[in-house]
Amino acid sequence: MRLALWWSGRALSSAATLLGVSILIFAAVRMMPGGFAETILGPFATPEQKAELAARYGLDQPVFMQYWHWLTAVAGGDLGTSMISREPVSLELLARLPVTAELTILSVAAAILLGVPLGVLTAVRARPDGGAAVGRLLSGLGVSVPEFVLGSLAVFLFSRYALGLSVGGYVPVTVDPAANLRSMVLPAAVLSIFAISATARTTRDAVLGVLVEPYVTAAVARGESPWFIITRHILRNAAAPVVTLTATITAYLLGGALVVEYVFNLPGIGSYVVQAVGRRDYAVVQAGVLLAAAVFIVMNVLVDLMVGTLDPRLGVTAKGRRA
Amino acid sequence: MRRPLDLLSKGGLGCLLALVAFALGSTVDLAGDPDAIVGPRLAPPGPEWWMGTDNLGRSMLPRVMEGVGTTLLLSCTAVLLTAAVSAAFGILAGYRGGYLNEVVLRLVEVLYSFPAIVLAVLVAAVLGPGQFAALASIVLVTIPLMTRLVRAAAVGVSQRDYVTAAVISGARLPRILGRHVLPNVAGTIAVQGTYALSVGISVEGGLSFLGFGVQPPQASLGVLIRQGGSYMIAAPWLIIGPGTVLVVAILAINVFGDGLRDRLEPRETRSLT
Amino acid sequence: MRHPWLACSLTALAVITTACAPGATAPTAAAPEAEPGYAASADGALPAGGTLNLQVHVDTGAASGLDPQLADVASSWQVMSLVYETLVTVGPDFTVQPLLAESWETPSPTTYVFKLRDDVVFSNGRRMTADDVVGSLKRLLDSKSVWRGQLGPVKSVTKSGEHGVKITLDTPYTPFLSALANVPAAVLPMKEVRDGSVDPAVKMVGTGPFTVEDHRQDVSWSFRKNAKYWAPGKPALDAVNITVAPEETARIAGLQNGGASLATLGNVDSAGMLAGAANVEVVTQATTDFYYLMLNTKAASSKFADPRVRQAINMAMDRGQIADVAVGGQGKPTGATPAGLPGACDPARLPSATGGPEGAKKLLAAAGVRDLSFTLSIYSTEPAPAVAQVIQQNLQQAGIKVNIEQMDEASWAGKVYGKAPATFDAALSWFAGYADPGMVAKWWNPDVAGFNSGFMKSDKELNELIDAANTVPSGAGRTEALAKVCAKADTDAQMIPLVTRPATIGYRSDALSPSLYATEGYGNALRLIADTRAKAVR
Repeated sequence: MRLALWWSGRALSSAATLLGVSILIFAAVRMMPGGFAETILGPFATPEQKAELAARYGLDQPVFMQYWHWLTAVAGGDLGTSMISREPVSLELLARLPVTAELTILSVAAAILLGVPLGVLTAVRARPDGGAAVGRLLSGLGVSVPEFVLGSLAVFLFSRYALGLSVGGYVPVTVDPAANLRSMVLPAAVLSIFAISATARTTRDAVLGVLVEPYVTAAVARGESPWFIITRHILRNAAAPVVTLTATITAYLLGGALVVEYVFNLPGIGSYVVQAVGRRDYAVVQAGVLLAAAVFIVMNVLVDLMVGTLDPRLGVTAKGRRA
Repeated sequence: MRRPLDLLSKGGLGCLLALVAFALGSTVDLAGDPDAIVGPRLAPPGPEWWMGTDNLGRSMLPRVMEGVGTTLLLSCTAVLLTAAVSAAFGILAGYRGGYLNEVVLRLVEVLYSFPAIVLAVLVAAVLGPGQFAALASIVLVTIPLMTRLVRAAAVGVSQRDYVTAAVISGARLPRILGRHVLPNVAGTIAVQGTYALSVGISVEGGLSFLGFGVQPPQASLGVLIRQGGSYMIAAPWLIIGPGTVLVVAILAINVFGDGLRDRLEPRETRSLT
Repeated sequence: MRHPWLACSLTALAVITTACAPGATAPTAAAPEAEPGYAASADGALPAGGTLNLQVHVDTGAASGLDPQLADVASSWQVMSLVYETLVTVGPDFTVQPLLAESWETPSPTTYVFKLRDDVVFSNGRRMTADDVVGSLKRLLDSKSVWRGQLGPVKSVTKSGEHGVKITLDTPYTPFLSALANVPAAVLPMKEVRDGSVDPAVKMVGTGPFTVEDHRQDVSWSFRKNAKYWAPGKPALDAVNITVAPEETARIAGLQNGGASLATLGNVDSAGMLAGAANVEVVTQATTDFYYLMLNTKAASSKFADPRVRQAINMAMDRGQIADVAVGGQGKPTGATPAGLPGACDPARLPSATGGPEGAKKLLAAAGVRDLSFTLSIYSTEPAPAVAQVIQQNLQQAGIKVNIEQMDEASWAGKVYGKAPATFDAALSWFAGYADPGMVAKWWNPDVAGFNSGFMKSDKELNELIDAANTVPSGAGRTEALAKVCAKADTDAQMIPLVTRPATIGYRSDALSPSLYATEGYGNALRLIADTRAKAVR
């Protein structure tokens, strides 16, 4: 009963958030200067052409009506039609999803497989000596190098010197899995530096917090092996913030890794939305942002659920996020 | 109870101060006019231009100085704004709870749901690219997290005895919030502020990198890196300087933030081995 | 016609299949086998077949879809030229050459009679007829296409026998053939267009060497060889794949690692940056595209209403420095007729060429203007910001303060072309210069170039000079008439031409043997695509 109540409350607040996002994005798109007509018709368009275009996409109606039509269409599963390509936005999003998903999976996998062990290791070994400072500095460095610096550097190094990985030239996995991996490893690596470092830092903090708990002291006193203590007591109890962070990174990456897509010329979701902003392709921007927000919100609900399963004491969690 | 800052954090603070001093150099034109065309295009570092010249023949040294200044000033201003707004709404929502709390939480959640860089690009598209857009983007990107954490801290503080005592003794709301709640969430604000600052610097950089941020001829670290990135082969000095400065700035802030957190929100820990 | 990135679309890749023997002419660094008029000539001895992997800055993308008649930017013309062909085309050094018309006669200065090839087939298998040609041109003239303004005073288009088309003009019009040589004048399958089975806005069916196999907006195109192409043995390539890569660094990387066998480059220093790369050749094509400054005289409180203020700005700008610094020494100062075209005016003899900052100060003083400052609106695509920053430095010498306002293309277009009267102070853009010196000058008449009417006032005298120059046949008389146009446009100074900008093209010498003209007027790097050959890679 309480669970049902929790779920309905959660669903309601998620819906409210999504509605808020839809209003905000719709308003933002309509507030952009430089209308769709000038942009996609070009400077040579006549007033009649502009009016015709506006009518074709329903942009001559009152804004409130436009919003209502859009909202009802989205609720019915219709994300709208791109004014540039004249194709349904959902088709293009679907075509770009594999790129974004693959980048996300590779980066998040690296973050979990490398970041968590690193975090645990630096935590249980933490002593106030030079090694700890170096570790702190290194993981700090990892979260400090912005993607656009790291990406530029990687493109330069790997295109100038043949180092085995290809820069740009995305190959779908269905066409050639090996070539696909070669083209995706580098952008995924650029993204995962942050993810790994952030995961390591969060894991370390969480583990340090758990280490002082009485049950760990008791386990140490009982003479249990460090491995057993780490896997049984520490990881389970330190998992909440790490799970939260991982979910946040996942949601963030699924929203589109804009800079990396640009630098490596990958046809992902982020560049789709941002190009559409530049061209005032309203339907694409609205759909892209709404979808990213929906992913983020769903992810948060899942996290709450998972954290609740891992540690029933924690109902609501504070969430970490990166920019 | 409070520990002194450790050496690493002090180093971070020192780095930051050095960068600020470096940036101040441009305000007094120590190295010349950053916009003036003074030499040949793409000249390597030399006695006349210590950091080389860019693709218009402008000396890089004053440009990097100006760039650091622009980026730091923008980010700091934005973070102060974020701190002010977050403190106001976070404390109010956390203390008052109820309907106001719900509204604040929902609004924050809406902003939070936008992918950060897409949010920044949208802001730049609506406001028109430039410093103001960069400022607004940083504020909007950093507000959600800080508001949430301040709110959470304020909820805890509101239940403390001294707050209850103040309420019973008839203190008015502004006094309670200002005298009793704010000082006790200030640590959270300070720590989050440093993290927001590093986020701010990378948002400014990313936005300018995409061409939506600071506009030429004004330099910012993002603008310089954007430009340098396309000249990496022919003129690596265009990106090495600003790139290093940017990374050092963010790293210094993060390290200092860690130290600040350890000091303001100390936590017992131990070694397992 | 606007936007830097459009202009930088490359050159034509052509191969002169028979004429070019390896090692025939003096070597240049870029293209050892090029002959006069060509920046590179393909090796005809290479076997046919293979794929061209091209990377470009930008995709087509307009509300008019893929309709070639309504396409108004060079980057779109380039893609469409793979599928569509025109009656005539542009050859080396801007000469007009036969394409779908095998010959033509001009019985009078206002009459053109074209004899069509009788072996031309649309990619759907239907033979091209004179009706297709007449119908296409009539459709163009009835449309809202901006290219109508370039076609000139066309009176009638009629069939002349089964394989002939006759076009009559109201008055002689010298650029007529050059205007016919651009993609908007392409021949469409009019029977299918009329019966609705082909909508040119969404489907490209033409007589050209390639057909569309797939298109993903802003991502890629793939073209297959048109098996029914009329020219024997052409195209040499089996397929052309185009990847849209907006980032210059990504295209440079593509060339370096072989992902691209050909790429259009926008950065004026890209040639230098690829200098050491193995198997990469970079060629520079002189184009007629040029940057120009717009000064808005129609805004309610325009600072530029007094022509002396505009002339002062014109005078204070150092076109030589803009060419040397902003476009890396690869551009040339130009007047309203693009520098480099036969018959174009000499920018050194423009009224504004002498005077410099001191002259500008005097003019401003005479106009009673002190402390002039204005905002220059530009878009962020390089090298526009570089040009703007040099202008800013130039004008500072004359005591004029310029604030640069950099925008994305959409906001820029909205600000400059969105409202009439326009609200901007000054703006920077570029025109493709086309293949005849009198063509782009027509945009100085806002009655013809409606897109300019939001910010510039029509000048009767200038309009008459432009029309006069295009009525005179080529030769000394026309050169003189064009010089008058340049001088008048220079003193009018509502649109101030600055510098030309060449196109840079990189290709993999181990993967491709392209042909490229040394000059190009319509920003079409693929003009000679049918001749380009691939080399077996790896």
